[in-house]
Amino acid sequence: MPYAATRTSPQQHSRVASNGRAVAACAGHAGVPDEVARHHEHAVAAGQCCSVMVQSIAAPADAVWSLVRRFDQPQGYKRFIRSCHLVDGDGVEVGSVRELLVVSGLPAENSRERLEIRDDERRVISFRILGGDHRLANYRSVTTVHEAASEGGPLTMVVESYVVDVPPGNTVEETRIFVDTIVRCNLQSLEDTVIRQQAMAAPAAPHNDHNHS
Amino acid sequence: MAEICCEEAKSTPATAVAAASVSATAAAAAAVAVASSALERRRRRLEMRRFRVASDPEELVAEDVRAAKRQRLARTLSGSCPDAGSDSDRPALPRYGVTSVCGRRREMEDTVSIRPDFLPGTSKHNFFGVFDGHGCSHVATMCQDNMHEVVADEHTKAASGEETAWKGVMERSFSRLDEQAASWATSRSRDEPACRCEQQMPLRCDHVGSTAVVAVVSPSHVVVANAGDSRAVLSRGGVPVPLSVDHKPDRPDELARIEAAGGRVIYWDGARVLGVLAMSRAIGDRYLKPFVSSEPEVTVTERTDDDECLILASDGLWDVVTNEMACEVVRACFRSNGPPAPAARPNGVALPAAGAGAEDGSAVVKGVGKEDSDKACSDAAMLLAKLALARRSADNVSVVVVDLRRGI
Repeated sequence: MPYAATRTSPQQHSRVASNGRAVAACAGHAGVPDEVARHHEHAVAAGQCCSVMVQSIAAPADAVWSLVRRFDQPQGYKRFIRSCHLVDGDGVEVGSVRELLVVSGLPAENSRERLEIRDDERRVISFRILGGDHRLANYRSVTTVHEAASEGGPLTMVVESYVVDVPPGNTVEETRIFVDTIVRCNLQSLEDTVIRQQAMAAPAAPHNDHNHS
Repeated sequence: MAEICCEEAKSTPATAVAAASVSATAAAAAAVAVASSALERRRRRLEMRRFRVASDPEELVAEDVRAAKRQRLARTLSGSCPDAGSDSDRPALPRYGVTSVCGRRREMEDTVSIRPDFLPGTSKHNFFGVFDGHGCSHVATMCQDNMHEVVADEHTKAASGEETAWKGVMERSFSRLDEQAASWATSRSRDEPACRCEQQMPLRCDHVGSTAVVAVVSPSHVVVANAGDSRAVLSRGGVPVPLSVDHKPDRPDELARIEAAGGRVIYWDGARVLGVLAMSRAIGDRYLKPFVSSEPEVTVTERTDDDECLILASDGLWDVVTNEMACEVVRACFRSNGPPAPAARPNGVALPAAGAGAEDGSAVVKGVGKEDSDKACSDAAMLLAKLALARRSADNVSVVVVDLRRGI
């Protein structure tokens, strides 16, 4: 793989998280540019928890953002989504609402979500969960995409943070383990998808039997 | 046919609701009463004529079960006997019935694989597998297509025919299927249609997996290998004997294994690995390795004259039907289906000549023909599936019933 040399192990990324106590805010990752760091500063109420995860991707920021920005097509890289339908708005304007159906095997059936922020200039997208058949109440997520300094080819940093209620009967730690597993899986999938798209788009890429829309 | 089947499905809840309202024992009695009544027997015989009897079980079962993925109605197949005039050297087919229904789940992600005489160079070994997929269906479909071939290959490599070799054969087979699942997207043949998740997200499906409960039935033994929460149960002298133990994350030894590996079991709509998956072992699910293991638990059980049947089913059945109830339903179907008097045989075929059709080297077949046994198994499988649906099972339901009775 042309990008293998620059791939960074996910285990090297730190996870910034509250220690479980109610706190006024959760600071974003230190590497996040100042102009968007504020988006990762969540107001965390009692009975809530938050977390931040970072994924480095050896691809141009625009290529990554083109997938992340699709509020109407989250299944382009999020694995656990079976289908997505807009039920309000056009998917571009803030206030758009989507209904997701979730794949089998997970403790969720569907989710209704509202687009809170979409800033193509600063590459920021945020959504809030309004309802659905799952246990994540008052969930709000922010994802930002940033060009990172790299001596090799292009490198992009994706930062995703969220805040959510701790469901009755669960602990802060358990809630974070569950949500982090899903988010980490999505970020890993985002990397895989972008890298593969870039490889197939490259003129010098070897012949590939698979068609890709 | 669809309308008739729909009406039948609608009529089932009334019966089962009554059954559900009484104690387990009484419910079993109710099921027996229903199964034993002459009227019910006649109705089921009429129903059975609507289902095609497969002349080539291996191909047709696989095809039909896959076709069932888009239907919510029950489909039942049964193995057929060779024609009276067929080559006498042809091995006897196993007596079994199979049903798969979508149920209340949005999509069908169960698959069933039945491969008679599947071991080259070794006769009378029949393969049965039930695979309950999650996330998408392609891992379960891959197991349906490949598991029996991999088991046969590993069995050949094992060289030793001893029963002790089966544990290694099954462990290596499950491991190979797990590897195939991980590389499925890049290695699948061009002919295979893209599954839903691949159409959306090419070449990466780490979130997809499947249970696998597999049985190899030989004249002397029943070998069961299981990973996940499908289940195999033997009925012996009217008593259920579990041949597998469900891999639930809060099973004490599974919980200990997961935590020793650095994982967590979190109660999130039930016990789940990392709060996500409700089983502790499965083929696939790479994103949850090493916590969700593909290593099967293997049992090798010697057959006895008291053995009545083997039931393999997905958790869509076992979540709402006890082992005892399932075995009782099958026994009731066996009783209500025979043995018929020679004059009453449906196809008028004479009893086989002495020695002809003998199985397992035992005495010639007397009283009960294979067709009747097959019908009994099919009746049992379908009745179990209907019972699960009537009890509001929230999942796909797949049931395989294998007749283990000897000397018939």
